[in-house]
Amino acid sequence: MAGVTLSKVVKRFGSYEIIHGASLEVADGEFVVFVGPSGCGKSTLLRMIAGLESVTEGDVSIGGRVVNDVEPAERGVAMVFQSYALYPHMTVEQNLSFGLRMTGHDKADIARRVERTAGILRIAELLKRKPRQLSGGQRQRVAIGRAIMREPQLFLFDEPLSNLDAELRVQMRVELARLHKELGVTMIYVTHDQTEAMTLADRIVVLRDGTIEQVGRPLDLYNDPDNQFVAGFVGSPKMNFIPALVVEGDGRGVTVELAGQERTTRLTQPLAGPAPEPGSRVVVGVRPEHFGDAGKGDADLLVNVDIVEHLGGTSFIYASTAGDYGLVIQRDADGVADAAEITVSIRKSYLFDENGKRLR
Amino acid sequence: MRQRTQTAYAFLTPYLLIFLAFWIWPIINSFWLSFLNTRSANWTFNPRMTWGRLLVDPAFANALQNTLVILVIQVPIMIALATVLATLLNSPALKVRGLFRFAFFAPVVVGEVAYAAMFRLLFNEFGIINKMLAGIGLTTIPWLSDPNAAMAVIIIALTWRWAGYNAIIILAGLQSIPEDVYEAATLDGVSKVRQFFFMTLPLLKPVILLCVVLSVIGTMQLFSEPFLITNRGGPGQATETLGLFLYRQGFNAFNFGYASAVAYTIAALAIAISLLNLWLGRERE
Ligand SMILES: Nc1ncnc2c1ncn2[C@@H]1O[C@H](COP(=O)(O)OP(=O)(O)O)[C@@H](O)[C@H]1O
Ligand SMILES: [Mg+2]
Repeated sequence: MAGVTLSKVVKRFGSYEIIHGASLEVADGEFVVFVGPSGCGKSTLLRMIAGLESVTEGDVSIGGRVVNDVEPAERGVAMVFQSYALYPHMTVEQNLSFGLRMTGHDKADIARRVERTAGILRIAELLKRKPRQLSGGQRQRVAIGRAIMREPQLFLFDEPLSNLDAELRVQMRVELARLHKELGVTMIYVTHDQTEAMTLADRIVVLRDGTIEQVGRPLDLYNDPDNQFVAGFVGSPKMNFIPALVVEGDGRGVTVELAGQERTTRLTQPLAGPAPEPGSRVVVGVRPEHFGDAGKGDADLLVNVDIVEHLGGTSFIYASTAGDYGLVIQRDADGVADAAEITVSIRKSYLFDENGKRLR
Repeated sequence: MRQRTQTAYAFLTPYLLIFLAFWIWPIINSFWLSFLNTRSANWTFNPRMTWGRLLVDPAFANALQNTLVILVIQVPIMIALATVLATLLNSPALKVRGLFRFAFFAPVVVGEVAYAAMFRLLFNEFGIINKMLAGIGLTTIPWLSDPNAAMAVIIIALTWRWAGYNAIIILAGLQSIPEDVYEAATLDGVSKVRQFFFMTLPLLKPVILLCVVLSVIGTMQLFSEPFLITNRGGPGQATETLGLFLYRQGFNAFNFGYASAVAYTIAALAIAISLLNLWLGRERE
């Protein structure tokens, strides 16, 4: 059993710095998801924990032991790769047992583990097949099985589901959650898909350009993002961002004027911290589901309806304001009238300063 | 549409005619020739003088033996060497990879005569190889006048010429093995050496098999090296190969019937040995 600690981890390839001092505590048995756009350094960070990449600066510890100079195989980790990385010339059974056979493990024990693994992942009937005779979902199961075989203290997943179709992805997501419950070991999971992160994680680590933007439980990130990036990244469809100018502010709150509206639209928000100077630029963030009926919120917007998507229970209205700011508005299906223009009210909003930092 | 098809064939015709006259026809004709006694003024049907003679001709047996000896010694050594070279070429630690790749490939594009002349000089009685042997206190070897030594020279020359070529083919195979498979094995605790023997080699099998088959075909037709380096299969007939024997029968003795039978034998052997290799290396389920 092992937690993971990153302290001020830096990674450079040559002179190019990819990870800029990441610090993080992962508790024993926790399911932590690294999420962020493609190229932000998620894989690099994961591979440093696995030992596949060296650590340029800082320390990586597993189970309280600094492992910077420990061989990958000695770290007690198992990793599942996006491309599965199965041994193509071996049967499923050989794939599962290869590592243990090569390291001189007891034969009877290997057989026992194969049986157990095949049971957990329901791949018993595939044991004699080669990887190319398997579907994508089956390959991914085998890849996970190979990780289980090692009985690791720590599982690392690098976008394990991104090569699967949508339906299978949902199914495997549920299985991974079940697996985590069953094995009770620490798991670190990398994905660029915020839905995966939200559904799987005990805690989410949001990364951008090699920097940890925020760490928190899924709903905390959703309800209380630290900055505009996290606010935009977590939640689907994305949070709407409307530029605004500060009109006045004092110790208790701030009033801003939204840009690009049909008529002057002001919004007042309480603030615990100091308010920005009048005249400074801010951004108002509104989640699609935080629009309400006209007159029932903090501010009313008149918008032009471009397209309406009916999903059954809910509908998404793709609209724009007079200043041509696109908005996505979520409404109950029966609350959507077939109109070219509607007025919606902002029921809840977030305020960000010019640098994207949350104002609260 | 028909018009266009005709035009296409019209353009192809010159090539097809030449192909027919200089490829297809000789192949068919030599098969017929291989049953004729071509040593008399008018050629008569007499397979005993061609196919029959193959069974009893000690010179043919000698050439066959020499060819097979070269095949059995040279091909495995060269393929093993090529695999090692390819692995080194593929190493991420290697700088200037392009230069090495070119250097390994270069022997193939060197003219045969130049390369043969160079080897004659190197292995000459007073050549640099003997100088070096003497320099480190070993006895010199009469490379080109001792039958076994001459055979060794042929094998060394062939290996020098073709190992790099095969290494490049194997390198392509190596590069098609995804890196993450090795990473998975590393995490599984499999040592680099074991990764090579239990992953790289099995995964390279189809490519290595291809190299073996190409080399077998090449060696069965071996001609230039014994002709040019050991001076027409010398000393005596010590390095005479099937290719050389065919040449001697066809173009020195003008015994076209017998030479045709030898030619068909070479082709049949090359096919048989290649098939045997493919069968031995087949995917077993
Ligand atoms: N071996 C490498 N050498 C140089 N740059 C690399 C290497 N591996 C990754 N990078 C760079 O590091 C950045 C982060 O990559 P990666 O960790 O794979 O991102 P992610 O997994 O979040 O998509 C990218 O800009 C990528 O180009
Ligand atoms: Mg990645």
